[in-house]
Amino acid sequence: MNTATFKKPSVILASIILILAVLAALVPGLFTSHNPLSGTSGALLSPSLEHWFGTDSVGRDLYSRVIYGTRQSLLGALVAVLVGLVVGTILGLIAGAQGGWLDALLMRIVDVLLSIPSLLLSLSVIILLGYGTVNAAIAVGITSVATFARLARSQVISVSSLDFVEAAYGSGASRFQVLTRHILPNSLTPVIALAAVQFGSAILQLSVLGFLGYGAPAPTPEWGLIIADARDYIATSWWLTVLPGAVIIAVVMSANHLSHIVQKKAR
Amino acid sequence: MTARQLWLRIGQALLVLLATYTLAFILLSALPSDAIMARYASPDLGLSSDEINAIRAEYGADKPLIVQYFTSLFGFLTGNFGYSVQTGASIASMVAEALPGTLALAISAFVLACIWALLIAVAASFSRGLRGFVLGLPSLMVSLPSFWIGIILIQLVSFKLGWVPVIGASPVQSLILPALTLSIPIAAPLAQVLVRSIEDVERQPFISVVKARGASRSRIFFGNVLRNAILPALTIAGVLFGELVGGAVVTEAVFGRAGIGQMTVNAVANRDTPVLMAVVVIAATLYVLINLLVDLLHPVLDPRVRRKERA
Amino acid sequence: MKKRAMPLSSIVLALLLGVTACGNVTQHASEAEDDIVTYLEPNFFKTLYPPSAGFYANGGVLNQVTDRLLYQDPETLELSPWIATKLPEVNEDATEYTFDIRTDVTYSDGSPLTAENVVKNFDLYGKGDKSRKLTSSEQITNYDHGEVVDEDTVRFFFSEPAPGFAQATSSFNAGLLSDATLDKDTTGFAPGKATEIIGSGPFVIEDEQMNSSLTMKAREDYDWAPAESEHQGRAYIDGIKYVLAAEESVRTGGLVSGQGDIARQIEAPVEKHLQEQGLTISSHSTNGVTNQLAFRFRDPRLSDIRVRQAIIAGIDRDEILETLFSDSYPKANSVLSSSALGYQDMSQYYVYDPDKAQRLLDEAGWVRGEDGIRSKDGQRLTLNINEALPQPRSREVITKVQEQLARIGIEITLNPGDQAAQDADSKDINKVQIRHTMVGRADYDVLKSHLHSDNRDSLLNLDEETGELGDPELEKLLEQIASSPREEDRAEASAKAQRMMAEKAYALPLFEEPQVYGVQPYLEGFEEESIGRPNFYNVRINHDRLEESQ
Repeated sequence: MNTATFKKPSVILASIILILAVLAALVPGLFTSHNPLSGTSGALLSPSLEHWFGTDSVGRDLYSRVIYGTRQSLLGALVAVLVGLVVGTILGLIAGAQGGWLDALLMRIVDVLLSIPSLLLSLSVIILLGYGTVNAAIAVGITSVATFARLARSQVISVSSLDFVEAAYGSGASRFQVLTRHILPNSLTPVIALAAVQFGSAILQLSVLGFLGYGAPAPTPEWGLIIADARDYIATSWWLTVLPGAVIIAVVMSANHLSHIVQKKAR
Repeated sequence: MTARQLWLRIGQALLVLLATYTLAFILLSALPSDAIMARYASPDLGLSSDEINAIRAEYGADKPLIVQYFTSLFGFLTGNFGYSVQTGASIASMVAEALPGTLALAISAFVLACIWALLIAVAASFSRGLRGFVLGLPSLMVSLPSFWIGIILIQLVSFKLGWVPVIGASPVQSLILPALTLSIPIAAPLAQVLVRSIEDVERQPFISVVKARGASRSRIFFGNVLRNAILPALTIAGVLFGELVGGAVVTEAVFGRAGIGQMTVNAVANRDTPVLMAVVVIAATLYVLINLLVDLLHPVLDPRVRRKERA
Repeated sequence: MKKRAMPLSSIVLALLLGVTACGNVTQHASEAEDDIVTYLEPNFFKTLYPPSAGFYANGGVLNQVTDRLLYQDPETLELSPWIATKLPEVNEDATEYTFDIRTDVTYSDGSPLTAENVVKNFDLYGKGDKSRKLTSSEQITNYDHGEVVDEDTVRFFFSEPAPGFAQATSSFNAGLLSDATLDKDTTGFAPGKATEIIGSGPFVIEDEQMNSSLTMKAREDYDWAPAESEHQGRAYIDGIKYVLAAEESVRTGGLVSGQGDIARQIEAPVEKHLQEQGLTISSHSTNGVTNQLAFRFRDPRLSDIRVRQAIIAGIDRDEILETLFSDSYPKANSVLSSSALGYQDMSQYYVYDPDKAQRLLDEAGWVRGEDGIRSKDGQRLTLNINEALPQPRSREVITKVQEQLARIGIEITLNPGDQAAQDADSKDINKVQIRHTMVGRADYDVLKSHLHSDNRDSLLNLDEETGELGDPELEKLLEQIASSPREEDRAEASAKAQRMMAEKAYALPLFEEPQVYGVQPYLEGFEEESIGRPNFYNVRINHDRLEESQ
């Protein structure tokens, strides 16, 4: 691709956005002095120097809620990806490396996971585990287990047939050693690339759960919830919906963009 | 594929179906509260606990779980979907009412997404100056929260501009904005695959041959490149269509459209297990059937596999 | 870039679907040849079985298609004849009610409304039928049986005094249905079966798109409006189209853009916007138990009256109302609305005084910890409130309460969850210690519905495990309200109960909850019945104003 010139600034921009987001998640106090949980100025104020994003329907500073919400949303996405990545990869690894009836069994389990509509699965998991960011994240993660498992399995199968793996067996290494030292590291790159893509989509899926009322319990600032709460006032206070939405888009887009770079490198 | 393999595959499919059913039943039974509570213990009715218990017995919801499981399974096997506990509506009629709406939405969104993808691919190939911008579009499209797009589209297109009514719209009109909303995130991966495969095809030797013969640029593109590039995009399209039906949930909620998604969300909120089991049965059957079909058709469609099997 | 994409997309779609999407399709649903009113509802009905009609969307439909024995004036709350030709004769201890009924009324399927039919209605509503999964009406208590005295007289018998019965016959929970409809089981009243629900009301359900819309047509031969009504005969409009519009922004936008005529559940911050756009805001009190926080006094922390009083003194209702609500939401002065039967002003018990709140908590031995939250004997002063999903802005109200009570050292948490979770958790004192709730009903009995252990038991007075009552005295007062044959005695018992609720600090009334509608200026005569459900019988479209607005 001859888009090197176009890519560079965009990569820098995406990196800056993500770094800012991580910073906001770690030390939200750096970005705002307002309290995200209580407000004293009027409700539904329009954006001003004092309140950059205006105030929400209870009179809290919206900008500070978005900043403090970064932690919930990034943490949630991270947990979701980890659940899918770890559980899915282990399943895929075992299935691909063992083959035979275990492979068939595990892949049918994956089929079962894929057969249940994913939204129904995640809502049920949340109701079962209880409401909260981490539980919602686990619910989102579970729905991606099947995808990770399938990818990991196909990678393991193709890597296993390569010469150096055969050679390793030949040199007397145990099955477990071959699996952890040779097959796993060489299968992992595409799986990591998938995880990067899943990160952005997990943020969106979490915000959908917030929209449907199954996200973090109020008054926790969380991106999906912030938009979901503000949507009733879009005719009168459009910024309440549009500005936090723009922040989500910027972060998800940056994550997706960088994950593409990772993917290209992986190829 | 031998007859034995075929039967084995079908047997596995049935097993997956049964396992899905069982897992879903266990999962839903484990949820706190239940359909009887959700309907009859609602403060709207003000019923005493004695009355609620009598109703529970009437529904057979006080029987052991294993009995309820086989009752429900037997119902589905004999084609009896039963009734929603929350409303008393016949589930068969709920599905009959909801499924066409969801399918219409999914299909039109899918067609629309294909058009978007095509437009983006064409624009990327022809407009050198805007190429970077056009190539950036898919990653923007896939980063938009779908309910956010829906809400904003309603405000702008329907209420501000007045192009399409949302309320009291004809069936076709009422499809436009939801389909548009749903098509945007689906179009993105399609466009990315299409752009990439166009690049691959353009690098192939036969294109240089056609070019050397003096064919015009657009002729080459539409006559040769696109035709060859569209195949890989179609394979991913099949996968995406499944996601569409899932994505319909949010769109249906925002636009207040009756459909499977809306039905699922309402049933979850009311712990309406019979309805949810019906949703699971339908979704799982579809999933298993499609996969079975793909497995069976694979040798027919892919000449390499066919040849190998003959050999 | 998005702007560019949109016209393009609509062109593509127009080609694709073969419609002209680009024309100006904004039109008023009420067209000249047929006066059809488009009504935007946030929920679709769940059942049309009248005793279950408490849910807003259910009652909103039944109120149009059924008539009742008596009519209750939504303002004065006085009862007057409707299908009954005069007010009922009631025996001394209110255990026998005798109604004379009209003989000229027919159901929309042509079957006559007879004395037998009326008895059949109340036998079902009064007792329910478990085998058909049909429940009894909360409002009809102690019902024994009904009898046909002669062709235009019916008599109802009660095992205990039932002074609330006359009012109960006036509510849409006792809407009269044809014999065939009464023979259905619960599945016959479900969505998908609406057109089979046969009443004698001014409108008839003509078409149903399951879970999305409902079309009602005016009944041409309707001629039995309540005697008190000036308007007799057929409804002015030709029909109503109920459209499900769950999103608040869709209802608001639908009104402003003229796609809808009336919308229910307009949130307070949007009222002003609608008025600026020339729409009318119509709000009506629900005439019952006010929107309130009920303190479950059997909880060990709340069992100390000083803690309850501190919560009351620590909540600044004026600030809540000012920030979150509008003039449609008057501040409450009692557990009952000021327009409810038996209302007594108890406002002196509900005064904001944060200093007093702090003092009370100090006296009760609750000491502030490092994070500002008080605790005693190692127990934190943390209380959980349910989110009242059907009530206006419940989550925001609780958020404000959270903020305010944190200042005096009480931590409030919001019970998360959907409707089923909220209902289930609200029955468990370990999960929900403060219940956010309200009850709409225009009768003295509403307090019993709200608090009695056989009904909603909002305070969880009854300990289900031991079967013991936390406050038997309250329960006795509620029974007096519901079973004293004489109205003066009921009013007195209700006053006593309100005083007890105030003195014992069992609840903090927040506001008198209205039903708020946005209405197009060209619609005249839109009214709400006594607890705020819409009534379309007197609605008419002013065509001059309609043209002006276009």
